[in-house]
Amino acid sequence: MQVLLDFWAAYRSTVAFAIVNAFFALSTYAVLGAGILSFATVAFAAIGGFLGAQIALSLGLGVFWLVPVTALAGLASGYLVAAIFLRLDSHWMALASLALILITRVVVINLPSVTGGVNGMSVPSSVTLWMLVLMLALIALVFYQINNSWYGIAATAVREDPAVASTLGISPRKIQMIAFCISGAVGSVGGMLLAMVLKFVSPDTYFIHLAFTMIAAVVLGGSYHWAGAIIGAAVFTALPIAAQAVIPQFEHVANGIVLLLIMIFMPRGLIDPRAIRLRRQARASRGTLS
Amino acid sequence: MSLFLEQLINGIALGSLYALFGLGFGLVFSTLGILNAAHGCYASWAAIAAFYFAQWFQLPFVAAVAVGIGAGGLLALLVDRIAFQPLRDRGHEMLGALITSIAFWIILDNLAGLATGQQSLTFPRGTYPNHLFRIGDIPVSAMQLITIVSMIVVTVGLHLLIARSRFGSAMRAVGWNPNAAALSGVDPARTMVVIAFLAGATSGFAGVLGGVMTANVSYSLGESLMLKGFAAVVVGGYNDVRGTALAGVALGILEVMTSQYLSSGLRDGITYALLLGFLLLRPRGLFGSAGYSRA
Repeated sequence: MQVLLDFWAAYRSTVAFAIVNAFFALSTYAVLGAGILSFATVAFAAIGGFLGAQIALSLGLGVFWLVPVTALAGLASGYLVAAIFLRLDSHWMALASLALILITRVVVINLPSVTGGVNGMSVPSSVTLWMLVLMLALIALVFYQINNSWYGIAATAVREDPAVASTLGISPRKIQMIAFCISGAVGSVGGMLLAMVLKFVSPDTYFIHLAFTMIAAVVLGGSYHWAGAIIGAAVFTALPIAAQAVIPQFEHVANGIVLLLIMIFMPRGLIDPRAIRLRRQARASRGTLS
Repeated sequence: MSLFLEQLINGIALGSLYALFGLGFGLVFSTLGILNAAHGCYASWAAIAAFYFAQWFQLPFVAAVAVGIGAGGLLALLVDRIAFQPLRDRGHEMLGALITSIAFWIILDNLAGLATGQQSLTFPRGTYPNHLFRIGDIPVSAMQLITIVSMIVVTVGLHLLIARSRFGSAMRAVGWNPNAAALSGVDPARTMVVIAFLAGATSGFAGVLGGVMTANVSYSLGESLMLKGFAAVVVGGYNDVRGTALAGVALGILEVMTSQYLSSGLRDGITYALLLGFLLLRPRGLFGSAGYSRA
């Protein structure tokens, strides 16, 4: 027990960042699960982050009030982005969402009265680790429900084959609209939580690095199941900390190497529902034979 | 008026850097269909290699540039073999290659940070030509001239290679469909190796020149070139090198003029707004041919 408590004390900030990153990963997964490669999560995170910071500063509201507000703002921006971007082909969609991140940063820098400009702003925060754990449990429950809902099945169909999905009476565009709304809400809440955990936001908080590491975390964890996003975010956050003890200075390089190995040898990620299903079937058939 | 002309030259030189980098980035994107997040690292590492070789061995400038170009090309080759080749055999699409390129971006970026001691290094005076020419009463530095001329030469060379030569046809064929290309006697594996090397070498060239001109040799060099080069590729039309060159120069001029006459805060904003505008309204870019698509 003492070991566990020591671990907890030493790595609380790692756990906090892992949970925040899980929100970003889930946001990326929400669109990827409907067959869209988009980096727009970072833009949603910036909206949630700066909105949350402003509200916390001016009204002094706690995290539990900020969640619904930032989620709604994220949902609205997700809808807006979907309405503009969804007519693009998949390649161009990904590039356009990258451009959106670049523009977000320019806007953030040029609105110093709202965002603190280049220097950023500090954020009053009272978020505790237990609140974060609770919120992660909640969002996991939400994704569990979505996964088993009609929407979840329809999204998988759209991802696997949009043409087949439309012959089944599923409108791919509508599904992808919803995916973007979910992604916007979750990403925005994640951005707010990141601001609260860091107690500071600046234009560099929400930039390309976040986009790249998040998509990498999702694919590493397994982009065919929502749990993959959470696992991937945890691995990606904890790995440099673990590697620091073994190869100091090169701790971030470890992330790159692990990502490379996973992609080459386990291209479907750590959590792969298909592999689990196949394994189960194999075991069942062995059972009937003997 | 002379201020305007001076800034025009600055803009063209800066834009030439973007264009030169974009040529390499666009080559991989248009023929191999890879959005390569690690491409900026080739430029950083080329500049770092040129810097250390120039310092250790007192190399003349031309030799240092050659070292940088070689380093960029070899690095690109290495990344292609390790990160992209295993995925090709499985017939994966864009996402897989993007993720492995992100892996290499993480690795190379951090190693570049360590190689420069987390600082930005500058080429010592005397290791590069620093004459100042005067055209009328407008000062033009030797480096600016070298950059502009290099960009033009590389653009013309690449265009002739792709549009006129046998190897260029092979490149386009492999970009369209590697299997069909193999059936008509093209060796796709060999062609891809050459494309990767060419792309890395071109961007490495931009990295060395940029490292000297902006007095910044560090991992951030590649990042800024990458974002602007990417914009140049999209705006110009990614399957035409002439488009990339013109768009790169235009973006450079726009940037310099914006910070001179409007506001330096909007400098990047105009570029990225153009980028997004083109993606939404004219995804094939200024010079891209209609109906071009990747399988």
